[in-house]
Amino acid sequence: MATKQAPTRQAITLKGSTAIVTDFFKFAVNTILYQRGVYPADDFHLVKKYGQVVMLTQDLALENYLNKILQQVQKWLVSGGVTQLVLAIISKDSRVTLERWVFDINLQNPPAESADEAVAAKPESVIQAEIRDILKQIVSTVTFLPTMDEPTVFNILAYTSESADVPADEWVDTDPLAIEASKSQQVKLRSFSTDIHRVEAMVAYRYEG
Amino acid sequence: MSNMPRTPARRSRSVAKTPLTPSLSAAVNSLTIASPARKGSKGSSSKPFPGDITNPFFQPSKSRPTSPLKRATSGGIQVSESLQRQANAGVIRKGGIESRLDVITCDYRPPKPDMKRSKSQPAGTNHYKRDRYITNREEQDVAATLELMHLNPRSASPGHTARLAEAANLPINKRVLAFHEAPPIPSSDPLMSQQREIVRPLYARPGALTSSTSSTTNKTRKVAMQPERVLDAPGMVDDFYLNLISWSCLNVVAVALGESTYVWQAATGSVVHVGDAPEGSYVSSVDFSQDGMFLGIGMGTGDVELWDVETNAKLRTMGGHQAQIATLAWNGHVLSSGCGDGSIWHHDVRIARHKVMELLGHAGEVCGLKWREDGELLASGGNDNVVNVWDGRVGDVNDDSRSSAKWTKRNHTAAVKAVAWCPWSPSLLASGGGTNDATIHIWNTTTGARLHSLSTPAQVTSLHFAPHRKELLSTHGYPTNSIMVHAYPSMEKVAEIRDAHESRVLFSCVSPSGDVVCTGAGDENLKFWRLWEVPKKAGKKAGKVGGGMGEGILALR
Repeated sequence: MATKQAPTRQAITLKGSTAIVTDFFKFAVNTILYQRGVYPADDFHLVKKYGQVVMLTQDLALENYLNKILQQVQKWLVSGGVTQLVLAIISKDSRVTLERWVFDINLQNPPAESADEAVAAKPESVIQAEIRDILKQIVSTVTFLPTMDEPTVFNILAYTSESADVPADEWVDTDPLAIEASKSQQVKLRSFSTDIHRVEAMVAYRYEG
Repeated sequence: MSNMPRTPARRSRSVAKTPLTPSLSAAVNSLTIASPARKGSKGSSSKPFPGDITNPFFQPSKSRPTSPLKRATSGGIQVSESLQRQANAGVIRKGGIESRLDVITCDYRPPKPDMKRSKSQPAGTNHYKRDRYITNREEQDVAATLELMHLNPRSASPGHTARLAEAANLPINKRVLAFHEAPPIPSSDPLMSQQREIVRPLYARPGALTSSTSSTTNKTRKVAMQPERVLDAPGMVDDFYLNLISWSCLNVVAVALGESTYVWQAATGSVVHVGDAPEGSYVSSVDFSQDGMFLGIGMGTGDVELWDVETNAKLRTMGGHQAQIATLAWNGHVLSSGCGDGSIWHHDVRIARHKVMELLGHAGEVCGLKWREDGELLASGGNDNVVNVWDGRVGDVNDDSRSSAKWTKRNHTAAVKAVAWCPWSPSLLASGGGTNDATIHIWNTTTGARLHSLSTPAQVTSLHFAPHRKELLSTHGYPTNSIMVHAYPSMEKVAEIRDAHESRVLFSCVSPSGDVVCTGAGDENLKFWRLWEVPKKAGKKAGKVGGGMGEGILALR
């Protein structure tokens, strides 16, 4: 990897790209949990990130929980074992999935040896702008997503390849918490890409119109 | 409708139809091709023949005329004959040909051959249950199905699974994993969540706490934002459920302060101590009779006392209630009392056995009680969030006579203390709910319909319709502690006096002349607000009746 990236000055390494994606996922999850009212609003505080103000949870238990998940996600990103991360918002009482926030993670094909001078490294500011756009879009989805009156919980699912190594006692196979196709609507959000990863965001929500 | 002039037109119409017929003949063609094959499969020896009556369209001959016009001229074919007959009878319609096509499609469906075939080839039975064009595949959860396949991949062919997966955009050969712990429960602090629950109604309402000490008025309407007069009322009980002030038509204000009752002469400003509640009890309600001569006082013990205001003497005590009398209302010689146990009694003050009727319709304390001016209806509100309207006629003089409400409304979600009848539209009743409700409903008491609803920023403690204007006054508790005036029927806010008192405004009454409103609150003040004006032409009359309340107050300064 390092030799491949050597010619470009500020090229992002796999490690750096992983860090960006993990960071993005952390803030996206926090933003969703705040905007969708999964956790009470006063559990969150303002943090400057990506050139804007984002909400970050202060709840220690939640923070630790997310960190544990993100650590594993980071490992999977390095090994390329994860293809999709899903944040499902579930009704606390009925256990019905209300919303699914889907983040597809695609590995960008590394450019061929000959073409690497043609593909200039993406400046970090551009990546940040793309991430900012996604986060802003998540905030703006509140305008069309159905309001959730009932108390909700969330769950984070990771779609991994069969071969990915999974810490056996920490991650377990599970139901995909899908929303029935006839009762769901989907909205595609923006995407962002580093030189190595491409993350596409999408939200599916239960709508029985 | 004569047939004669119509015939040419009809003919021309049937001629105009001819362009449709090729499709008909095509359909017939397809039928002739299809049916021998089907019948062959049936194995029967029946052969299509020209005279087949079951299908009038059946035409096996290869020299079939291409157009019905031709057929009509040839004359030998049944179809064209019948068509012609129909045309002559005048029954052929625009939909005629299409309906014939329907007949063919019906005939085309093969239920009976299917039965016979099923005997010989049982494998193909359920194939015919489906329409070939409309899929009747059950609505099923594709994702769930796929997930089942994913768990048990050998149940379906791998190619099929892959195709399905591609169609549903679901990953195969991938694991769906979740972290073994459940996410932490949101509100870890029970005290905090309790506090959130308490303040929720305050956040939920529009206009709450925008500017805590502001007063707003409509531009077209000027309302004095300062009270005209403030009286000290030491010991006034800060209790939402009580009704502690009353303003008589003789321009006298009765105020209950703790265990004592006082009368304040608005004209002279003199204060007279009326009486005290028995030791250890308190006065829970006061109300003047309609002529202003008598004062009813409800006690915390459940007794109702009757006082002569002029001589300042107690006339009688009417006992019987077991809980506090939170509200009183007069109608002629009948004094109605709302009790803490949910019952309403009518006391006829003239007779020894004073209890002439008992109204049972509330499960909680009755805290709002108002007679309509004509005495035909009585409205009551209770701590059980119910508004009842009762027929005002007092029935048989019998201790046990009970009545049921004319109608009952359960729209409020908190205690209903504020009830008010409209003086200029007798069928209108306004009711307002407590903290969790904070809504004013206007009812038509004739039909029982809800006419208007208005959500307000705080608990509604009392309501009055303005006597001379199409307006509604409401007083409110925390957080606004305001007096509001709403236009009727638009329900728009005309004026709002924020923080009219230092604590929640609990009691209010309107002066007999209808211009000044007196409010009482837990901050131990009585305040007089000039919210309305007495209209000019009625001014003299009102002045006489009201004893010149306005001048009286000014003279005192």
